[in-house]
Amino acid sequence: MSLLALDEVTKAFGGLVAVSDLSFEVRDGEVLALIGPNGAGKSTTFNLISGLLAPDRGRITFDGRDVTRLPPPVRAHLGIGRTFQVMQPFHDMTVLENVMVGELFGHGTPKSLAAARRDAEGICRLVGLDHLMDREPAGLGVADLKRLEVARALATHPRLLLLDEVMAGLRPPEVDQAVQMLRGLRRAGITLLLIDHVIRSVRDLADRVVVLNFGRKIAEGTFAEVARDPAVVQAYLGEADA
Amino acid sequence: MTASRALSLSRPGRLAGRLGVPLLLAAALAWPFLTVRTQPYLLQLSLNILIFAVLAVSWDLLARTGQLSLAHAAFYGLGAYTSALLATRLHVPIPLAMLAGGGLAVVCAVGLGVLTLRLRGIYFAIATLAFTETLRVVAKQVRFFGAATGLVVPPLFPASLVAQYLVILAVLLATLLVSWSVNRSRWSFAFTAIRTNEAVAAVMGVDVVRFKVAAFALSAFFAGLTGAYYAHVFLFINPFEVFSLAVSVGALVAPIFGGLYTTAGPLLGAVVLRAGEEALRATIRSGYLIIYGGILAVVVLYMPRGLLGVLTGLRLRRPPAVAVTAAPPVGGEGP
Repeated sequence: MSLLALDEVTKAFGGLVAVSDLSFEVRDGEVLALIGPNGAGKSTTFNLISGLLAPDRGRITFDGRDVTRLPPPVRAHLGIGRTFQVMQPFHDMTVLENVMVGELFGHGTPKSLAAARRDAEGICRLVGLDHLMDREPAGLGVADLKRLEVARALATHPRLLLLDEVMAGLRPPEVDQAVQMLRGLRRAGITLLLIDHVIRSVRDLADRVVVLNFGRKIAEGTFAEVARDPAVVQAYLGEADA
Repeated sequence: MTASRALSLSRPGRLAGRLGVPLLLAAALAWPFLTVRTQPYLLQLSLNILIFAVLAVSWDLLARTGQLSLAHAAFYGLGAYTSALLATRLHVPIPLAMLAGGGLAVVCAVGLGVLTLRLRGIYFAIATLAFTETLRVVAKQVRFFGAATGLVVPPLFPASLVAQYLVILAVLLATLLVSWSVNRSRWSFAFTAIRTNEAVAAVMGVDVVRFKVAAFALSAFFAGLTGAYYAHVFLFINPFEVFSLAVSVGALVAPIFGGLYTTAGPLLGAVVLRAGEEALRATIRSGYLIIYGGILAVVVLYMPRGLLGVLTGLRLRRPPAVAVTAAPPVGGEGP
């Protein structure tokens, strides 16, 4: 059964149509990868799902409920969590306090500061940030900032987690760690929708793949299926030529 | 319990709480009885300082959400005019009229807050300045409001300077209590998150609209109440004084000077600035404002976390480049 469904969603910025008549669904419990060349509309799609942008046309349904016009915090309360491609930590807080924001205001029943702190510490351990909890984000490296992005999103206790290039800029052993961690999340019952350019992680993780180009869906299927698809090959090679 | 900065900031705070706060409170309570006979001028000056402190502490509440407001004079003036008119025209008892002044400031703050939700930084500042100027022009032009000549206001506790002092001290204590409670609650996480990155705060479930408007309302209530107090103690108000840009600027300079996003910082800033200004004026007849401005500039440029940051030694923990907007004592440990 589908947890999230986009139905002919369109978003234009002035004359540029970033997402055009896009329809796809994410099934409960699966890992779906959203791939495509730069500028294909992947991040715009994430902004539409998380509510930072409102579509010009179309409908977005989450868990059977129309969320198209709901503001971002309400979607977070329903269980949509996300990370950002460009890391955006809260700079006036420690790592732990960053994560506590999710525990305090995300999906689930309200909890005390003490409970939020305890649960945030658990999430920091889960993603491997426990030794950095009291540091400020300013001094962290790329891999740790990516972990913080994931930790904050996890702290909102999402049912659907949108991961925007969490592997980008990581070294191969770090990618392996990240893949392990995402597998763990999936086993814990979190549905994952991920944007990624690291082909190996997409192949290893995703049950299905949706391919975008110029804001349109050009292919959908298993990794093996879309990798054979002529339209997909052309989209990627076309970009390589440019 | 971890040694985060929030806690390291509250550790000297806790020590101060054990010893300093009761002592300060005792001194503040004894002050009017010590000065009323020998130094009535000092007591009169204290009323001014406490008014200024309420404005500073309440302005900081809104600043914690990242909004730089120039509307504090608007709420101050609204409180002053509302209370004065209710007391003179409708003979409402003065304490009730004062509360109504704070109440109307809240109503206007909610309206202004909703209208300016999407504005940030300089645009927000200009919108709030325009709001203040509009009120000033209305008060100046409309006869019912006393027009340019202003209004004569009935007094609160006319016979007792001590009682007048105790009233504004109580208002200040209430403001400080609210400020302190906010910084120890989940609200401080919401405020800090909104200030640092509104979009991220929103997708993490922080109801940005609610918290921004709530901060605006809280901040405006104390400004309005203090404006009303000013009217009933100084017995005369006019549009140029209560809706003055100097009120708004004073309310924002003190927290920056003393330490933004904290409870003690704005209080410290207000007391030091106003008392220092008076001391300078008494000792240097002409040009004292130049020295005053110089001191202000040095603190703002070289002490990014204000006086409080210097006192707690926190400035050493972080390079000034990041600390321009100073750090809040977010969180603290749970209950």
